[in-house]
Amino acid sequence: MANKTLQSLRAEGFLPKDRGTRLLRFSDLLRISFREVVRKRRRYIGVMAAIALGTAGLITIVTMGRDLKANLNNDLDLLGGATIIAAHFDLQMGDRQEWFRTGTIDAIEKIPGVKEVTKSRFRSAATTTFQEKVYGFNLLGVDTNYWSLFSFTPRYGRLFNDADISEGRKVCVLGQDLAKMIFGSPEGAVGQMLNLDNNLYTVVGIIGGVRAADKTLMAFLPITTAQARVPNISELSSLYVRCNTWDDVAPVAAALEKTITTYQPSKGLRIQVGWEPLKQVQRVFWWVSLFIYASIGATLVLGGFGIWNIMMAAVTARTREIGLKKAMGAEDSDILWQFLFEALCVTFSSALLGVALGMVGVQYMCRSLGTQPPEGLFAICLLAGLIFAAVLGVGSGLYPSIRASRMQVVDAMRYE
Amino acid sequence: MNNGHSDRVIDIRHLSKTYASGSEQIKVLKDINLEVNRGEMLAIMGPSGSGKSTMLFILGIFQPPTSGSYTIAGVDVLNLNRDAQAVFRREKMGFVFQSCDLLENSTVYENLELPLIYTGVKRHEREHKIMEALQRVNLEHRVRQPSNRLSGGERQRVSIARALVNEPEFILADEPTGQLDKDNSERVMDYFVKITEEARVAMVIVTHDAATAERCTRKCLLSDGVLKPY
Repeated sequence: MANKTLQSLRAEGFLPKDRGTRLLRFSDLLRISFREVVRKRRRYIGVMAAIALGTAGLITIVTMGRDLKANLNNDLDLLGGATIIAAHFDLQMGDRQEWFRTGTIDAIEKIPGVKEVTKSRFRSAATTTFQEKVYGFNLLGVDTNYWSLFSFTPRYGRLFNDADISEGRKVCVLGQDLAKMIFGSPEGAVGQMLNLDNNLYTVVGIIGGVRAADKTLMAFLPITTAQARVPNISELSSLYVRCNTWDDVAPVAAALEKTITTYQPSKGLRIQVGWEPLKQVQRVFWWVSLFIYASIGATLVLGGFGIWNIMMAAVTARTREIGLKKAMGAEDSDILWQFLFEALCVTFSSALLGVALGMVGVQYMCRSLGTQPPEGLFAICLLAGLIFAAVLGVGSGLYPSIRASRMQVVDAMRYE
Repeated sequence: MNNGHSDRVIDIRHLSKTYASGSEQIKVLKDINLEVNRGEMLAIMGPSGSGKSTMLFILGIFQPPTSGSYTIAGVDVLNLNRDAQAVFRREKMGFVFQSCDLLENSTVYENLELPLIYTGVKRHEREHKIMEALQRVNLEHRVRQPSNRLSGGERQRVSIARALVNEPEFILADEPTGQLDKDNSERVMDYFVKITEEARVAMVIVTHDAATAERCTRKCLLSDGVLKPY
């Protein structure tokens, strides 16, 4: 019956005292494992490439996920305005029309997740006379955020700039059909003068963009100009908020109502969110995300299986070596650590390569999306890569290592 | 209690080994009694299938016998747990194998360093020990050579140096000249004789080669599982 322990042998003087060099042995085993991987690097190239690419993909997607969403948000938003929240004060019977106070708008701009806010004043049934003909249209006083918030672009000429707003310039932007109706052609309208309530406004541009289709019969003035010069223009009873991403829409919508209620009377307040387009956009992105993550996951799992497979083959091919090492006095733990360290060396080397590739990927995406890399990017990537390598290395190397360590010396020595 | 200071290194009493093959019991070793002292070189001879390999595995504490007792330097090695057996092997025993098992893709230095790593010898002490062991087999000039660039005789000498590097009390050699020509065989045996005398180790050589056995101080014949003086 095998019951005599190492400690008792040392205590009885049959073996020298423990040299207390477990850490040294550990570092030596690590060195040997690293050397083994370097010397047999060719067999690991395939799995190292797979793991490096998987890690790089994961780092890029995880790090750039928010910027990517924000960018997709801009593109997909053109189709449905999924991240735009509208807030209106409806006219209540017998009550005065409420409007948004400056303090309220400032507070709304500070709500987390809000990208930009635009406000507008409205006048229906405005008229102008050109070459003795009278034309009717709806008029909107807007600020510069209005264009970016709804993704409008100039079809001809230009849209308002900050100077037009701050100086209250007498300029206007027209919808395409209105310009064609009054001046004969949209491009010919730019530079013409529009008479509105005895004020002459220079037409500086024609509105364009995917969402311009329902604004073709409208005229736009700088909000400051409209407030000063257009009679019967509405109060600031409507504003629009654009969120950073669609994930921000629900919390911003909730905070918006609370903020408005906190800062001013909110009678007749109506918050409008396009829940249906939002759900559709989220669904599309969820499927895209699932596909990307599944692809990365599959690459990494395949890499992990690759290491597992190589380590299993190595254990079999090196059976005699394992027996020899055990004959030389290697304990089970020495063999286990050596094989586990070899797996970890492969995954750590792959992960470091992946981190480098990932950082290149992040830089490239930042350049493409016109954003800045996140702060502490290197630390984030390195940490993610190392944690991932440790998990993958232990996951794929543990079983082969245990198998190697449990091998009976006599079986290993007899192995041909 | 014998704490290893007497001359007796190996003491085997009434040792037997039986393998089960289906319902049949095959008795490979039968009532073996054996003693080997320091400075003694024992050859265990026998034809193929006589139980030499089983005897070697039991002597190396690679597998237990079915019955009997086995002590090395006063320690009942059959009573040790798995880790204690491993430590006992690296502290007290050295092995030389027939196939000159050197680690592939490794240098001579790295081959000799491994037992020292397992023993926990500090790095700065290793080089001295390795060079000392290589000097005993006249191979100190090959210390940085990759093991696969050595000749058969040199590989076996490295194997001997590796067995010696931890200064064992008992060396077990399995057909150490089996793959060598006559000249190299004689040279290897010269080293064995020299080491046994100088280092005062007990050596057991398992061989079927009569010329190798002739160089030993004592010979035994293992035939049909029975060990007899030869």
